[in-house]
Amino acid sequence: MRFTIDDGGSAPIEVFFPYDSVYPEQVAYMREMKRALDARGHGAVEMPTGTGKTITVLSMCVSYQLAHPEVGKIIYCTRTVPEMEKVLEEMKALQAYIEKELGAETARMLSLGLSSRKNMCVNPAVADEGSRESVDGRCRRLTASWVRERRLERQARDAGRTVAAEDGEGDNEGGVSCCDWFEEFETAGEKAVLPPGVYTLHDLRQFGRAKKWCPYFLARNMISFANVIVYNYQYMLDPKVASLVSSALEKECVVVFDEAHNIDNVCIEALSVNLRQQTLENAGRSITSLNARIDKAKQTDERRLRQEYERLVNGLAQQGVLARGGGEDMLMNPVIPDDILREAVPGNIRRAEHFVAVLKRFVEYLKFRLQSTQVEQETPTAFLQHCAANAGIDGKTLKFCYDRLTSLLKTLEVVDMDEYNALSLVANFAALVGTYSKGFALILEPYDERYPNIPDPVLQLACLDASLAIKPVFERFQSVFITSGTLSPIDLYPKLLGFNPVCAKSLEMTLTRECLCPMVITRGADQQAVSTKFDVRDDPNVIQNYGRILVGLAQTVPDGIVAFFVSYSYMENIVSKWHETGILREIMQHKLVFIETTDVVETSLALDNYRRACNCGRGAIFLSVARGKVAEGIDFDRHYGRAVVMYGVPYQYTLSRILRARLEYLRETFQIKESDFLAFDAVRQAAQCVGRVIRSKKDYGLMVFADKRYNSQDKRGKLPGWITSHLHEEVLNLSTDMAMQVARTFMRSMSQPFSHDDSKKSLFDQEMLNRLAAEGGYREALPAQARKLAPEIMMHI
Amino acid sequence: MTLIGAEGGGSESDSDEIDAERAQASLRAWEKKYQSERAWEDLEEDPLTGRLRVNARAVELRARERRAKMASAALRGGAAKGMMRFAYVVVDLSRAANEEDFRPNRLSVVGHCAAAFVREFFNQNPLSQLGIIVARNGVAERLTELSGSPEAHCAALRNALDASGDFSLQNTLNAARTSLKSIPSYGSREVLYIMSSLATCDPGNVWTEIQATKAAKVRVSVVAVAAELHVARRLSEETGGTYGVSMNADHLDDLIMAHAPPPPLAEDATKSCLVQMGFPQKKHVSKDALIVGTRGDYVCPRCSGRIDELPSQCTVCRLTLVSSPHLARSYHHLFPVPAFKEYASRNVSAKESGIVALECSACLASITDASLASECEHCSNVFCFACDIFIHERLHNCPHCSCATHVESRKKAS
Repeated sequence: MRFTIDDGGSAPIEVFFPYDSVYPEQVAYMREMKRALDARGHGAVEMPTGTGKTITVLSMCVSYQLAHPEVGKIIYCTRTVPEMEKVLEEMKALQAYIEKELGAETARMLSLGLSSRKNMCVNPAVADEGSRESVDGRCRRLTASWVRERRLERQARDAGRTVAAEDGEGDNEGGVSCCDWFEEFETAGEKAVLPPGVYTLHDLRQFGRAKKWCPYFLARNMISFANVIVYNYQYMLDPKVASLVSSALEKECVVVFDEAHNIDNVCIEALSVNLRQQTLENAGRSITSLNARIDKAKQTDERRLRQEYERLVNGLAQQGVLARGGGEDMLMNPVIPDDILREAVPGNIRRAEHFVAVLKRFVEYLKFRLQSTQVEQETPTAFLQHCAANAGIDGKTLKFCYDRLTSLLKTLEVVDMDEYNALSLVANFAALVGTYSKGFALILEPYDERYPNIPDPVLQLACLDASLAIKPVFERFQSVFITSGTLSPIDLYPKLLGFNPVCAKSLEMTLTRECLCPMVITRGADQQAVSTKFDVRDDPNVIQNYGRILVGLAQTVPDGIVAFFVSYSYMENIVSKWHETGILREIMQHKLVFIETTDVVETSLALDNYRRACNCGRGAIFLSVARGKVAEGIDFDRHYGRAVVMYGVPYQYTLSRILRARLEYLRETFQIKESDFLAFDAVRQAAQCVGRVIRSKKDYGLMVFADKRYNSQDKRGKLPGWITSHLHEEVLNLSTDMAMQVARTFMRSMSQPFSHDDSKKSLFDQEMLNRLAAEGGYREALPAQARKLAPEIMMHI
Repeated sequence: MTLIGAEGGGSESDSDEIDAERAQASLRAWEKKYQSERAWEDLEEDPLTGRLRVNARAVELRARERRAKMASAALRGGAAKGMMRFAYVVVDLSRAANEEDFRPNRLSVVGHCAAAFVREFFNQNPLSQLGIIVARNGVAERLTELSGSPEAHCAALRNALDASGDFSLQNTLNAARTSLKSIPSYGSREVLYIMSSLATCDPGNVWTEIQATKAAKVRVSVVAVAAELHVARRLSEETGGTYGVSMNADHLDDLIMAHAPPPPLAEDATKSCLVQMGFPQKKHVSKDALIVGTRGDYVCPRCSGRIDELPSQCTVCRLTLVSSPHLARSYHHLFPVPAFKEYASRNVSAKESGIVALECSACLASITDASLASECEHCSNVFCFACDIFIHERLHNCPHCSCATHVESRKKAS
């Protein structure tokens, strides 16, 4: 349907919405977005999952783009590939609707998804490689520009020979084989374009197969022509990847980060490096092989090394000269582009052999640091000083390490990058430590806290400031939205990420029935408080009471139940105690029990069986860990999750030095209290966990917070609005038996038939919107001047 | 109620006291929910006798609910309905039936409801047959075979009320389906589950059994005691049955009883054909007669075998034996009495004009509460609420309409 959104500011926008009805909160969301788009500012909006966030964002942005052609691309960032596909499916529906309404000609849009080579490659020889790195490596080996050049030379030389003979010689002859898809794509040149439409990864692969063009490079090429791009966070946030993919995007783009509740952690991870003994040893080996290569190059092709030297003397900024149109995708600088110095590489690392010597010295120095037997924590400045004093390498040299390495690898025409992974990690470390003096901390831990007797030294360069990585995004693009089901408290995110939102709003879910029932269990049936507080968590009483909760739920709740624990170790501990005391057996009478482990394969097998048990009516319980893979990415909708239990408050491991460094930094820089941040972080994880069970308005689910600390306002108040609005007084401070009473009633009332008519008040169809507009009831969405127009002019079905 | 008193008394200056009071109040927070429902407001004291009684507003509310249900039942008339139903009632006697959320426990409530259902079923469908399967310890136990005698079923069920072990959907479904396979093609096949358990523990894949049930055109309905089980809901959806979850014991009874009238038939569930039936006569056996087999009062018209009760099948020649009132009673489901219109809403002006003394044209009592009176659309006679219910639920005829047709046909004849 079509309707008009007007916030009274500038010209109203006609929104194309592919479905026959729209939720009130979707309209509210669009209004917020419009405000931010009009003001060319950023926004943070919280809207519960299951209310159609994706389609709201897409239809608003696309409609805005149609009305204001000056607005650039829409870049939709997701966390996972399945999410990406979902977005593109929604986009397909929207595209079809707009084409139907406006005709295929006016609505010619190109939308595509972009992912790694592993997900996009169609060359069977390459795609069959297992990991992402090996696919990348194999692809580079086939498509790097010098490999292709050499092949062309050879072809010219061997024109007389048969093709079969050539094939037989293979890679070791200097890369004679090639990727047909890439060659075809290169040959097509300018003509290799995607016709307008919506392309999921699958569609891209199919198109690539049909045309015999490489879908990966085609998609990357088409980014500059696309209207809607869907890709991973990394492509926007990680400077190493972003400078490759996203550098060509214009300023007027609208960037959306979906499921952004963990965006600060993504930002921090993008700029953090961990170095272990193993890494350094690998780096040492790489240096040796690099030396050998340099020696070989000196004998055979000294001209190239000399050219490189000349280039470096002239300054790094001219490095563009080196970029050739191949598929090599060299390493990109891990530092934010604006922070790279545009000046010449220092003299001591211009020569290849000198540079390698510096690297060697640096690796040795790091090895020496790792030998320390006690925990050390220092600032980058202190590290640089120490490094200069002991290894004779100054900060400026380190700063250029990464670019210098890239240049060297290119010059040496190295294609198998994975061999140099460890070395590039070291160079990455060097560049970061050399560039940033603030917002980072170096922490050296000689052993793992859990196993103090096993030496496992690790040197961590931890980024403490999430705003560093995302700042360029906010500065570069006109409008950036972060959105998720859990962004509460919504005023904290702008602080953490360092931006000024035009709109920051938490939207609630309008429901026809109370389909979510959060409750706080503070004590067991014996009136003893339950908590995962450190001093009481191993109390047998608490463990017993926690077990009783699960037994009670297994009796009252049909199908699937998910339980989240604060950590793996706590889960293991509590489950073994349950086993000893017979609670587990009692649970197993009612439902099967599955457990998440750190092993991904094992966990996905457990999940699969859990789903089967739910499907066939046996009923199952999945024991999982907050902050684990399951808590972040797996949905437990419908009968897969009728209830979810959050055991305890999932605080981060507060003794972690990185966390403590970050807390200190936050307090000093942003004036955020430690306890506030910890509580916020724990509660957002808890909200994320319990939010797994509600994925649509027709769904229903019980949410149990089992810890007495949830009863206090400072925890409860940090939960998203769509949960707190259901936390009535009668579901707070419950004991287990009362909670079961509530659960029983809830399960019964939710099973009652639910007719479509009931959903009228939470669903606007066209008629309803018209009527509301005519009555002026929906004043907010439709301002005075719009209401004066006849409704039929404003809205067409 | 005590809560209000506690809060009201919190006027002491001692802050500790107040804190304790507050803690006490929050402890009883869950009571507030019941407070908000205000169940006591439905009660009022009779000014004359001083007894508590449910006040008029609540009575009216309940009456309206009941009437709406009648109206929807009347609307469902006209559709093809199976006269000869072959139904199995599956009573879940697994461990879950021992739970005590209904008083005294689920088991007795379910047993009671099931027995009542069996009687009502035969009351409304005298030509149909019913059997009982109980599920316990993971197996399906066929308590009674398909037959037409309510008392035999009830007695068997009474003796079997003892719950333990798991519930198996697959086993019970299989038992019902294999038994229903052999019934004649004109009969409609039904299974009604009364399910306490929230899980099913099956030996194999329950979905293959569900598909087989669907293919066998068995209509499966489920009444769940506690909560919605995904597989059970899907089962009823797949086979065209209904699914209900009880809110309380009364609701459970309603849900189960809703299955007593025959459901509308699916397109191809049965074939219509002529069925041979016998109408036996009651002949007492002389005391000194020599009898082999049962010593019944009825005599089969075809083979002169003796039968205990009606309706049933002749034990000798397998002829279906009924009496004519049975046929008549089955018949009314096809032509239900249309719902009566509400009287008061239409005749406000009449009321105003002074006609106050309104009389029920069935029981001839004066109607005190005009808002609940109703009016037949055909003969425009006004009935009180009790008569309205009686006509729709028991009589299945509007007395005045049938009187009018009787008079008319007489006139024509003369």
